[in-house]
Amino acid sequence: MKNILFRWEAALFLMLIAELAVFGFINPRFLNVGNLIYGTSDFVQIGLVALPLTLVIIAGGIDVSFASTIGLCAIVFGVSNFFGVPLPLAIGMALVAGALAGLLNATVIHLSKIQPLVVTLGNLYLFQGAATVLSGAVGAGGYEGIGNFPASFTSFGYAEFLGVPAPLAVFLGLAAVLVVLLHFTRFGRAVFLIGQSAEAARYSGLSVAATQTVTYVITGVCAAIAGLVMSAYFGSARVDLGAATLLPAVTAAVLGGASIYGGQGSILGTLLATFVIGYLQQGLQASGVPSQISSALSGGLLVAAVALRHGSALLADFIAVARQKRNNRASAF
Amino acid sequence: MLNIVARNRVLMLLAVMAAACLALGFAAPGYLSAATASVILSNSLVLLLISLGTMLVILTRNIDVSSGSILGLSAATLGMSLNAGVSLPLAIALCVLTGMAAGALNGLLVAYLRIPSIVATLGTLGLYRGIMLIQTGGRWIEDLPQNLKALAGGIGFGISILTVTVLGLFILAWIFLRRTRFGRYFYAVGDNRDAAHHLGVPVRRVQFTAFVASGACAAIAGLIFAAQIGFIPNQAGNGVELKAIAVNVLGGVSLLGGSGSVAGVFTAAIFLTSIDSALVFLKIPAFWNDFIAGAILLIVLLLDGRIRLLIDRRIRARRYAVHARTPQGGGATGKIADKALLAEASR
Repeated sequence: MKNILFRWEAALFLMLIAELAVFGFINPRFLNVGNLIYGTSDFVQIGLVALPLTLVIIAGGIDVSFASTIGLCAIVFGVSNFFGVPLPLAIGMALVAGALAGLLNATVIHLSKIQPLVVTLGNLYLFQGAATVLSGAVGAGGYEGIGNFPASFTSFGYAEFLGVPAPLAVFLGLAAVLVVLLHFTRFGRAVFLIGQSAEAARYSGLSVAATQTVTYVITGVCAAIAGLVMSAYFGSARVDLGAATLLPAVTAAVLGGASIYGGQGSILGTLLATFVIGYLQQGLQASGVPSQISSALSGGLLVAAVALRHGSALLADFIAVARQKRNNRASAF
Repeated sequence: MLNIVARNRVLMLLAVMAAACLALGFAAPGYLSAATASVILSNSLVLLLISLGTMLVILTRNIDVSSGSILGLSAATLGMSLNAGVSLPLAIALCVLTGMAAGALNGLLVAYLRIPSIVATLGTLGLYRGIMLIQTGGRWIEDLPQNLKALAGGIGFGISILTVTVLGLFILAWIFLRRTRFGRYFYAVGDNRDAAHHLGVPVRRVQFTAFVASGACAAIAGLIFAAQIGFIPNQAGNGVELKAIAVNVLGGVSLLGGSGSVAGVFTAAIFLTSIDSALVFLKIPAFWNDFIAGAILLIVLLLDGRIRLLIDRRIRARRYAVHARTPQGGGATGKIADKALLAEASR
């Protein structure tokens, strides 16, 4: 019981409740259940990439290229739709493009042994460039969107599934799959061990390269899903669709308890953190705070949360040392 | 051959740049002119300074991704105080102070509260941009006074006071890092933090100073941005931090800290900027820019990584060769040979 209560996820859950209560107090209309559920469509894409990013971070890597993979996959879908490719095939092509993007990240990282941050940073440009070139090729020139999707696709953005909006359903479904994958499979244990110590994992016979590659590919595919969901929701595919997800998604993963040094983190934490971040932005808007301040606050939130976690760890160390000293003194007498 | 390539990063970069420029000169007559060189230099000033600041932080084995927002924040401070009637020198001082304060917060978070630098500066990236937007109320700052814009004007030979300032700062940084004790501390801290601590290096103060210096560089870059563009949009400096990290990697600064040179950063920043202008001369549509820059960066990374791996492997092979040659082992001659080879390998 104590273990459950003192987990970081419990603190996050309390944070979420407190946040909703404060915003509900300021603006009672904010606590409308319909609003809360349908409001998720505005930030669910952050979670769609933050979840697999948690896997990458736990395995000791980092991926920042997903922000342009989202745009690239959306454009791949838009372009194939433009040339009359049937809908299922176009969706499949977008997903394959995402997987290939993740595979490219992993391959370069393992061939060059250069820090993942640098490699994915390079790919952030490369994918954005590729998306811009592709959209330029069909005359959508630069940053304009590609639209004219079939109605069956755009209706997905507003469809309902078991009473929840489809984007949220996709997000929760993905979270369920990843919870099982990370916390209940051999692969998941390998991800944690590799993050703790890649050397130890190698000596115990795990394939570090293959496991990390899988995490990057999953991120690519999820970025493609996010791109598709956003294209359906907005009705057009644009190069810069994912640009605004970069910072919030990393924030969500870190706030959710993933250690940037690897080996720690949980899907549930990231899931909760996504809602904390998303509702923070919406709650601030509902309370009449300009969107500029909310962006400052979410940056501040990341810093404060991490400082709090490090501070509490330092404090715990301090208390443990003090207790040990007292015990030593007691046993000396 | 391999060792020469790996050790003379700056020379290699210069050679590649010269080859590329010659090829461009043939492809697009008119590219090789003093006017082009002057345009490239003035276009690269902002990137140069941000990269210099980022380099100081990376040397200490941290990273700073908030410099783009610091640029925006200090530029906004500069613009608003100028438009409120503050004199130019005072406004510039305020601008630099803003940058240093922002850098000091980063330094406090990383050096003293021990938050991983990537997380801390990602947070302040959003924080500073938000403060800037609150400050300006989300409006662009226009109608900057003429004496600010005059700073970007030429003073002969196609260079401006700003260019001279930036070059001066680079020379200062070079002297600081090469010739002063505190400058050498930057490399020591980045190379091995614990060892540096045991040697009596004030590790935290060095890290803190690196972030403050990076903030100051970003603030001066904000000044240059405002003087060159003539107005300050909300998204001023957006994304430049990523470009600066790319410049550092291209210029041979190790992200693991402890190695890198000012000259490398300078060359790499000029190189990346000249790619942009080359595309204009080759009449390639602007939407190829990101793709080509990304592809070049990726190829450089791959080559660089492969070369480093090869050298590592060669050094290891030499060490093992020593043991293979003296199977009896333990002999005095074997040990001496061993030492000599090790010394050669680590040279």
